[in-house]
Amino acid sequence: MTWTWFHRLGSPPHVYRLAARLTPWFAWPAGVLIVAALYGGLVLAPPDYQQGDGFRIIYVHPPCAWMSLMVYVTMATASAIGLIWRMKVAYAVAASCAPIGASFTVATLLTGMLWGRPMWGTYWEWDPLLTSELLLLFLYLGYMGLRASFDDVQRADRASAVLAVVGVINVPVIHFSVYWWNSLHQAPSVMKLGEPTIALPMLIPLLMMFLGFTLYFVAILLVRLRGEVLRRERSASWIREVVTP
Amino acid sequence: MTAFLRMGGYAQYLWPAYGIAFTVLILNIIWARRALARARAEARRRIAVRGELALQGGQA
Repeated sequence: MTWTWFHRLGSPPHVYRLAARLTPWFAWPAGVLIVAALYGGLVLAPPDYQQGDGFRIIYVHPPCAWMSLMVYVTMATASAIGLIWRMKVAYAVAASCAPIGASFTVATLLTGMLWGRPMWGTYWEWDPLLTSELLLLFLYLGYMGLRASFDDVQRADRASAVLAVVGVINVPVIHFSVYWWNSLHQAPSVMKLGEPTIALPMLIPLLMMFLGFTLYFVAILLVRLRGEVLRRERSASWIREVVTP
Repeated sequence: MTAFLRMGGYAQYLWPAYGIAFTVLILNIIWARRALARARAEARRRIAVRGELALQGGQA
């Protein structure tokens, strides 16, 4: 196995062009999957025997929660790669992740509140899961705030990367808090070892939504990444070729 | 259709939740495209400035 592909990922012009070429391959399948999952979840799936039609929030809340965590793990991994191999493109990936992750963390909290009200009788509870998800939002905001406080991109990259890597401890806390503490939040029906405890007509749209959101994330990340790469490559001559129409 | 919109009495929670999720999906598309457009405009502006400086340097 050769490592050429990995080394080429360190080359900003290569990454810029690759990102531009790959974006539609993620964006279109994401759009199709999300629309199909909406139809499957809102129309085809039967109501839940306990939660009635209220269970249908499952097609937006867990996918948003998945995004909030997956984007953070991506951001922390890219940050670690940046710190270890001093790879500019990895830092650009990490910086691109933060606003996406922060927005989906807000969506997770808000859609969760809208599920909590009818099911638990309260919008908010200082429960381990909810509290650690709120902490995740502060980690994203802290990351972005820290970046904004530096004029120098390289220093911003290094400082924010350390924060992202340290904060990754929060991710398993969120994921396992439902089991570790006696949480108000129900245990996940899909993301667990062994058999999922959910009927197929309900499960299929949910899995499509998870996959759709994931592909959507890659597409958005690729668009943002191009902007970040441009910002970092101030004097490179290849930029003239890609920005002049 | 009305029954569908009523969502078994959960409409007041369900539709806002879908609204929030899809607003975030759409906003991220707009924000990402705007960030890229801004970075490209900035890069073009820098190239133009550098071109002018090079021109002045050549004349001096």
